[in-house]
Amino acid sequence: MATPPPSPAVPFRGPSRSLPIFLFVVLVLAAFVASVKTAQVDFFVLVEAESRRNLFRFLFGMFPPDLSLDFLRLMLPPVLETIQISIMGTTIAILVGLPLGLLATSSLTWGGVLHEMGTMGQRSRRLLRVLPYAFARGLLSVFRAIPEFVWALIFVRAVGLGPFPGVLAIGVAYGGILGKVYSEILESVDPKPLEALQATGASKLQIVLYGLLPQAFPDFVSYSLYRWECAIRASAILGFVGAGGIGQQLELSMRMFNFHEVTTLIGLLALLVAAADLLSARIRKGIL
Amino acid sequence: MYRAEKLSKMFPDGLVAVDGIDLAIKKGEQVTFIGPSGAGKTTLFRMLNLTIPSTSGRLFLDGLEVPGLSGPRLKEARRRIGTIYQQQNLVPRLKVVHNVLAGRLGLWSTGAALFSLVRPAEVERAYGALQRVGIPEKLFARTDELSGGQQQRVAIARVLVQDPEVILADEPVSSVDPTLATSLVRLLKEISTESGKTLLMNLHSVELALSFFQRIIGLRDGKILFDSATAEITEEHLRELYTGWSPEGDAPLDRNGHTTPLSCRPLPRAL
Ligand SMILES: Nc1ncnc2c1ncn2[C@@H]1O[C@H](COP(=O)(O)OP(=O)(O)OP(=O)(O)O)[C@@H](O)[C@H]1O
Ligand SMILES: [Mg+2]
Repeated sequence: MATPPPSPAVPFRGPSRSLPIFLFVVLVLAAFVASVKTAQVDFFVLVEAESRRNLFRFLFGMFPPDLSLDFLRLMLPPVLETIQISIMGTTIAILVGLPLGLLATSSLTWGGVLHEMGTMGQRSRRLLRVLPYAFARGLLSVFRAIPEFVWALIFVRAVGLGPFPGVLAIGVAYGGILGKVYSEILESVDPKPLEALQATGASKLQIVLYGLLPQAFPDFVSYSLYRWECAIRASAILGFVGAGGIGQQLELSMRMFNFHEVTTLIGLLALLVAAADLLSARIRKGIL
Repeated sequence: MYRAEKLSKMFPDGLVAVDGIDLAIKKGEQVTFIGPSGAGKTTLFRMLNLTIPSTSGRLFLDGLEVPGLSGPRLKEARRRIGTIYQQQNLVPRLKVVHNVLAGRLGLWSTGAALFSLVRPAEVERAYGALQRVGIPEKLFARTDELSGGQQQRVAIARVLVQDPEVILADEPVSSVDPTLATSLVRLLKEISTESGKTLLMNLHSVELALSFFQRIIGLRDGKILFDSATAEITEEHLRELYTGWSPEGDAPLDRNGHTTPLSCRPLPRAL
C-alpha cells in the first residue's frame, strides 16, 4: 500500500493580531471612563431633596389625565394627522431609500461575483461604476447625519408650518437610514442564486428583480415597519417645531402648564405606537 | 465549441485552482469530468460559463475569444450557456415557476421580467419543462418548500427553458438518491442528444461517468490527469486520480504539480 502523501505545513498565523485588539480594548475603556466624567453622569442628583420635590410636583400635576369628551374630540384631528405624517413620511423614506440603497450596494454596482467578468483591465469603466456608488453613499450619510428634528426646522422655514414639513423631515432623515440598512441587507444576501441568474444572461436589473429583492424582501419589510413605528414617535418631537400632529398639541399644553392634557397626549402616543407595533407584527407574520 | 489553451485560475489568496489546462470540446460532444474534491472542477466550469475570468491562458467559445467580451455581447454569450449548479442556486423565496422562467431572462426585457413576476409569462413552457423532470405539480409551489432532489430538478427545468447551446452540469445529482441520479443523468444526456447541445458534466460517481459518457477527463490539483475515451480508462487511471499514487513515479504530486523532494517532507514522529 502506498502511504498517503504528507500534508503540507499549514501556514501558522502568529500572535501579531492580538496586539491591535488589546490596544482597541484599552481605547474603548478609556473612552468610557472619560465619558462618565464629561457627560456629568451623577445618579445621586436624581434623589436629592430639591430635584425630588420638582419631579413629584410634575408627576402629581400630570394626574389624573384629562379624559373629558370635549378635549378628546379636539385631539382627534391631531392624532389622525400624526398617523398621516408617519405613513407619508415613511413612504417617502422608502422611495428615497430604495434607489439610493441599491446604488450603495457594492455587490450590485461594482464588486463581487457580478463584476468578475467584463471589468478587467478597464480602469475607466470601473471608475464609472464606483462613482454612482460613492455618490449614493455620500448622499445617504448626509441625510442620516442631520437629525429629523433639524430637518424639520429647515423644512418649516422652507414650506411653512403644518404637517408637510414633518413629512419631508421624516422622509429625508429616515430615507437616509433606510437606504443604508437596505444596502446592508442587500450586501448580505446569498450570492449563489445571483451568480446563477447572471449565468443565464440576465441583466443587472433583472438580477435585482429575481434574485436580490426576493431574498431581501422579508428584512426590508420588517425594518421599514420598524421605521414607521419610529416615525410615529418622531412626529411627536417634530410637532415641537411646528410640524403638526400630536407634538404640536403637546407643546401647546406644556406651554400652558396643562399637565393633565400632557398626560392624555402621551397616553395617546403610547397607544398609537403599540397599535403600530401590533399591526407590524401581523404583517411580518403574513409575509414570512 | 470550447477551446482552452493553458487556461489557469489563481484566486486572490494565491491558490491555483486550475493550472494550465488544454481542452478542446466539439459542438454536441458529451464529456464528463471526474476528480477528487478540490480538484478545480467547479472553478473550471465557472470559467467556462463566463462567471469568472481566467488569470492566464486563453479561452475560446465558438471561436470567440472570451476575455474580450463585455456588456451586451457578454450577456448574449452567457445566454447560450446553461449551468446547473452543485448547490441548486435557486432563489428560495420565489415560486418554482419564476425560478424556472429565470432561464428566459436573457431573452426578456426588464419590463417583461417584472411583469412576469406578477403574472407569469410563458407558463406552458415552464410547465412543459417541469413535466419533463417529473414534478409538474410543483409549478406554483414555493421553492424552499421543495426537497433537495426536487430543487435539483427545478434547476434542470430552468436550463430546459433557457434552451442553451451548451449545458454545464456541475455535479447535478449530488443531492438525490441513486435511482433518481441515474435517471437525471440520462435525462440530461437525452436533452443534449436530441437537440445537439454540448454537454459537460462534473460527476462524483465514477460509475455514472463510465456508464453514460464516451469521453472522460480526470482532473486533479487543477491539472488534467487524463483525457480519454471511456473504453481506455483503467483501474490505474482511477487510483492515481483519487489517491495521487501512480505506479510510475513514487513521489506524490503537490498542489502545484511538483513532486516534493524527499528532504522536505516532515520526518515521522516515531523516529
Ligand atoms: N472563490 C474562491 N476563492 C479562493 N479559493 C477558492 C475559491 N473557490 C474555490 N477555491 C479553491 O479552489 C480549489 C478548487 O475548488 P473547486 O470548487 O473548483 O473544486 P471541485 O473540484 O469543484 O471540488 P468538489 O468536487 O468538492 O466540488 C479548492 O481548493 C477551493 O478551496
Ligand atoms: Mg465543485
